[in-house]
Amino acid sequence: MSSQINKQNNHNSRAKDVSRRDFLRKAGTYSAASLTGAAMLLSPRPARATKNVTWAEHFQKNYRLMTDEEKEEAIERLVKRYSEEFGKKVNVNDTPAIDGVLFGYALNIQKCIGCRRCVKACVAENNQSRGDKQQIEWIRVMRLEKGKFSEEDRDNSGYPQDFGIQVGGNAYKPAGVVLEGQHYYEADKVPEKDAFYLPMQCMQCEKPPCVKVCPVRTTYRDPDGIVVIDYNWCIGCRMCIGACPYWARRFNWGEPDLPAADMNPDTHYLGNRPRMKGVVEKCTFCIQRTRKGRWTGCVEVCPVGARKLGNLLDPDSDVRKILATKKVFRLRADLNTYPKFFYFMN
Amino acid sequence: MISYRLFAPLMGLSLLAASPNPVSGEADLEGKQCFESRKDLSQVQQREIKPGVTNIKCSPTTGGVLYWGDPFDGTIPMGDMPVEADYSHEEAVVKPREPQIDRNKLLTICSMACHNGEYVPYPENKLARPLTMHKDIVPDAMQLKHGKQAIWCLDCHHAATRTKLIDNYGNEVSFNQPQILCGKCHGQVYRSWRDGIHGKRIGMWDKGGKKRWWVCTECHNPHDVQQGERNSGFAQLDPEPAPILPKGMLNTDHERGHGQDHGGTTH
Repeated sequence: MSSQINKQNNHNSRAKDVSRRDFLRKAGTYSAASLTGAAMLLSPRPARATKNVTWAEHFQKNYRLMTDEEKEEAIERLVKRYSEEFGKKVNVNDTPAIDGVLFGYALNIQKCIGCRRCVKACVAENNQSRGDKQQIEWIRVMRLEKGKFSEEDRDNSGYPQDFGIQVGGNAYKPAGVVLEGQHYYEADKVPEKDAFYLPMQCMQCEKPPCVKVCPVRTTYRDPDGIVVIDYNWCIGCRMCIGACPYWARRFNWGEPDLPAADMNPDTHYLGNRPRMKGVVEKCTFCIQRTRKGRWTGCVEVCPVGARKLGNLLDPDSDVRKILATKKVFRLRADLNTYPKFFYFMN
Repeated sequence: MISYRLFAPLMGLSLLAASPNPVSGEADLEGKQCFESRKDLSQVQQREIKPGVTNIKCSPTTGGVLYWGDPFDGTIPMGDMPVEADYSHEEAVVKPREPQIDRNKLLTICSMACHNGEYVPYPENKLARPLTMHKDIVPDAMQLKHGKQAIWCLDCHHAATRTKLIDNYGNEVSFNQPQILCGKCHGQVYRSWRDGIHGKRIGMWDKGGKKRWWVCTECHNPHDVQQGERNSGFAQLDPEPAPILPKGMLNTDHERGHGQDHGGTTH
């Protein structure tokens, strides 16, 4: 019995020794690591983006509460930092909303061919993260299959087999489409037979749910109807992503990967300036362009001219003419978000 | 007169032989040549317009234009239009189509050589008949799919001046303004286009701002406007690559199935 107890004690003491040794070894590793970390911080060329953010940038106010001087200072800091990081002269604008303008967007779903050129043009214009590690795209083109409906099906069965919820039609005429989209479709040529395409991006809602849920009020609706984000004030809680019914918002999980050569130097504070890790971003109707009177990147690049942007307050604008003369719908109108992004048909 | 008739085609043909580009060949694709809407027929050469700014940015995968550094680069004023619209009180410009269409100087040569209004007489009727010539150089025309056989070449093309189109009254219409011709039959689309609803414009969205208007043939192929059985006005293009799958998503099978496949109790 006593030998057993001794054995147990020996075992315990050995265990203690081991743990102490372990502790010392781990402590050593940690201190070495921290020294390396300090050395990295002290190195003359710090890594890009968040590591290079100045203290002043950390402690600046919410953009809406800044005075004009503070805005100017904040922009000066950014211009300096971006120009150094990307090796070119970067402009950061703070162009305010134009009086008497409320931006509206119209997209012809009959015309869209699903070529995704708008998606790539948006990335080129708005300085999103790209590459294999983290790819952020603000526009999502959904491929929807056209319903396969025949006279026979109509008369002899209810809903066709293997198809989801139908949109359109009625009890006697089940004409419509399948309400399930493919985001990652790959095709040799577009448009494909029996498919149509529905691009989705930020709808710039008049009553945006994302703005309602933001706990720090960093995202808000500007007077021209564009919902913007002050990236510096974003805490990365991603409540807005959960609230948005249109999947419009994207999160920078990692350090954004933006090659200096591809960076678009014409930026806006609330728009396409380079973002940091841990902030949310989304389409701003190319605020850096539209507030200076130029069409957005996606409107310009659409090879079939399916995309239109204009002033909803101007009865002669193309968007108002579309609303007046075409068949128009909005996505999830039942949610009372009042999107200013309209889909139309001829 | 007889000598002139003999001489003119010879002169034209000699021009044809001296033409630097191959007659039915493609434009030089060397360097960064990208296309705007119609592949091979709306080519733009990438070049620097300001230090560090190029006139266009191209898609590395499909060669489509992704960005215009200057949306009005290489444009000309749209010119007078028969009906008032936005273009009447704004600065409206178009990209001239003539250099694209007549890049091999073929049309110019045809006008001088044979189709000068004398050497090849104006046909007596529009009855369909197989062409005896030009099967090689006008491939589109041999498969004319426009107007369901009710129209033919000289309803749109000038009989003698091959570098021009014609309107309803036989007046010359420039290739740079095909909308005047197309609007003859497609009135509704033409009105839509005038309102900025149909077709495409780039530049400034604001009222009174300068705009570049896309004309009909920048998107549509007038000889094969229905694209065969597809019955669509726009030719198929190569799509840009799909987004990278999110971490943890192995494939996209869940998207391809419907209803039961991913547990959806859809009806």
